[in-house]
Amino acid sequence: MTDLVPSPTRPAVDSTEPDASVELRLADVPLRQVVVLVRIDLPDDQLEPLLERGVLPGCRLCPIRRSPFGDPIVRVDGSLLALRREMAGCLCVRRVTDGPH
Amino acid sequence: MPDLLGADCHAVAERPARRSTVEAGPRRPLVALIGPPNSGKSTLFNRLTGLRQKVANYPGVTVEKHIGRARLPDEGVLELVDLPGVNGFSARTLDERITRDVLEGRAEGIGAPDAVVLVVDVTRLEPQLMLVEPVLELGLPTLLVLNMWDELEARNGGLDDHVLGRRLGVRTARTNARSGRGLEEVWAFLREVADGVAGTDGGPRAVSNVSRHAPLPIIEAFATRRRRIAGIVDEAGYRPAGPSRLSERLDSIFLHRVWGPIVFTALVVLVFQAIFTWATPLMDGVEALISSSGQALATRLPDTWFRALLIDGVWAGVGSVLVFLPQILILFLFLGILEDSGYMARAAVIADRMMYRVGLQGRAFLPLLSAYACAVPAILSARTVENERDRLATIFVAPFMTCSARLPVYALLIAAFIPERRVLGPFLGTRAATLLGLYALGALAAVFTAFALKRTLLRGASAPFLMELPPYRLPSPRSLALRLVDRSRIFLRRAGRIILLVTVVLWGLTQIPRIGGQAPPIERSALGRAGHVMEPAIAPLGFDWRIGVGLVSSLAAREVIVGTLGTIYGVENSDETSMALQARLQRDLDLGAAVALLVFFAFALQCMSTVAVMRRETAGWKWPLLQWGYMLTLAYVGALAANWLL
Repeated sequence: MTDLVPSPTRPAVDSTEPDASVELRLADVPLRQVVVLVRIDLPDDQLEPLLERGVLPGCRLCPIRRSPFGDPIVRVDGSLLALRREMAGCLCVRRVTDGPH
Repeated sequence: MPDLLGADCHAVAERPARRSTVEAGPRRPLVALIGPPNSGKSTLFNRLTGLRQKVANYPGVTVEKHIGRARLPDEGVLELVDLPGVNGFSARTLDERITRDVLEGRAEGIGAPDAVVLVVDVTRLEPQLMLVEPVLELGLPTLLVLNMWDELEARNGGLDDHVLGRRLGVRTARTNARSGRGLEEVWAFLREVADGVAGTDGGPRAVSNVSRHAPLPIIEAFATRRRRIAGIVDEAGYRPAGPSRLSERLDSIFLHRVWGPIVFTALVVLVFQAIFTWATPLMDGVEALISSSGQALATRLPDTWFRALLIDGVWAGVGSVLVFLPQILILFLFLGILEDSGYMARAAVIADRMMYRVGLQGRAFLPLLSAYACAVPAILSARTVENERDRLATIFVAPFMTCSARLPVYALLIAAFIPERRVLGPFLGTRAATLLGLYALGALAAVFTAFALKRTLLRGASAPFLMELPPYRLPSPRSLALRLVDRSRIFLRRAGRIILLVTVVLWGLTQIPRIGGQAPPIERSALGRAGHVMEPAIAPLGFDWRIGVGLVSSLAAREVIVGTLGTIYGVENSDETSMALQARLQRDLDLGAAVALLVFFAFALQCMSTVAVMRRETAGWKWPLLQWGYMLTLAYVGALAANWLL
């Protein structure tokens, strides 16, 4: 997935929202903002833990709080997932305007 | 693949033979219980088997599996194996490898399963269903257990389980394993497995995240499966459970910027307090029980070598292990509550930042905390650490944590050599400060070692750290109790055997060569001579042959040195509070040598149980030998420096 060139005209796997043009990093998404995952900038051998937990391109993520040391805790598919902010910096996402899924 | 088939048949064929040595009768069907972590799999296992479970070790694979027997109402019996919780089959963690090997029928000492029970937490259905397809590809009769159904309904979720089952092509059961609701359907499934066991095909099996029918690059394989599952779940009218209010409220405290770390620290202090203060009366009780029963036995037996072997060898050996049981039980009670309630996942997230800095990760927090009681269960619990490098680093540094076996040694030496003076007013005396210093010394060595390992032997890109935060739940007393029984069995078996063996061998070495048919004085025994032989090596540390003998004997377990020194000095009933023993030590050691001995015990891996567990967990001698050598070197250099400086 790392070779997928981000392009404003190209929709993410299942997102067709009009406001999906701004691409940002999960680490920079404000709390409670629902985003859709576009791309994971990680080497292939580090993808599986994310994929197994449902963090796939096209899935909706919503950072709901930060840990005491600033790591994001996101809601994905009804589960809460804590990840390091370094990794959150490797997840490319786009905004979703139609509210939480 | 003929060879795979051959291996499979071998495993199946081997089982009745193995069983028949223990209990005659036909082969019992084997059902594997699998599921993601925190899906309630073990609770279901405990419900189905009760106390009819055993922890079995298998050669080659480094892990014990939980096997239990479920008794069906019509007296039919089958065996269940509780596999570790997994999110997938990439075989990234040791737990995942074990699960894969058992499902594929490749694990030694256990046959291929005849059926699978896949347990998922229905409140988090979608990601958990990712396991369904790989499991169904095994071609075994499968039951999908939709656990925590009550919670789904309570949190306004919903699902048509018939549609779900039909579309996935799997039988389903709604359960709540904690309360025992819905188990009838599970029993019905088990009954059918027990009746129809002959019909299982013995074909080659493989379980993997990527379908073998349609091999795809990993990310597409997941995306395809994910889309399919999303479609099925939609069709089945799945309404996810609303967010748990309680969990949100608790998280806003436990993960708060200020309160989070405070609660975390308070809980760590509480665990320490429990294992050191509250466990003490229980440990004293066990000790008294062992020594009085030993004495009672001694008076009833004639004074022969056999009595000496039984009392001084076996009894002392078993006793030195049993005495730690209360502490281990208290530790695991606390850890069990923290884990089952869901707090431990939060603690791991908080700890991750600190551990990351020294090259470890948040999941290492629980093993390292356990290591303050005993390194053996700590090393076992490191299996949940994803990424092999992190797991190795965790188990490598665990023995530096000040385990409770060091405490009697510390107590004896501190009482004998450190005069009690005030350091911080009434709060901290010199003795307590010394003890704290020794804890800090161990922790520092661990930090340094982890840091060094991650830059040398275990170098590599840092592994992703991901932690699922399960909803908070009230721990079930039943599960906690069963876990305590289970943990004590593992501890006694792991630690007991090796310590028993070493104490008996050491006792044997004090008995030869016989002089006029009697045991020799300890100085002239084989053990005493060993002390003399090593004296030149330990003289620079300020130790004489007596301490040498103590060091050799403490190879079995650190605290054994206290009893050995008592024997050498001829002090009756010596323990760490014995004034006579303290007086003798003060005569033979100066302050420098005493501190050197403390430092030596802080660093050296004087624990055969740890070495044995390391060997199992790393499947070889390389790591345990490296660890033993490294810790001995550090201990020697540290002790040398202490003796030289003071």
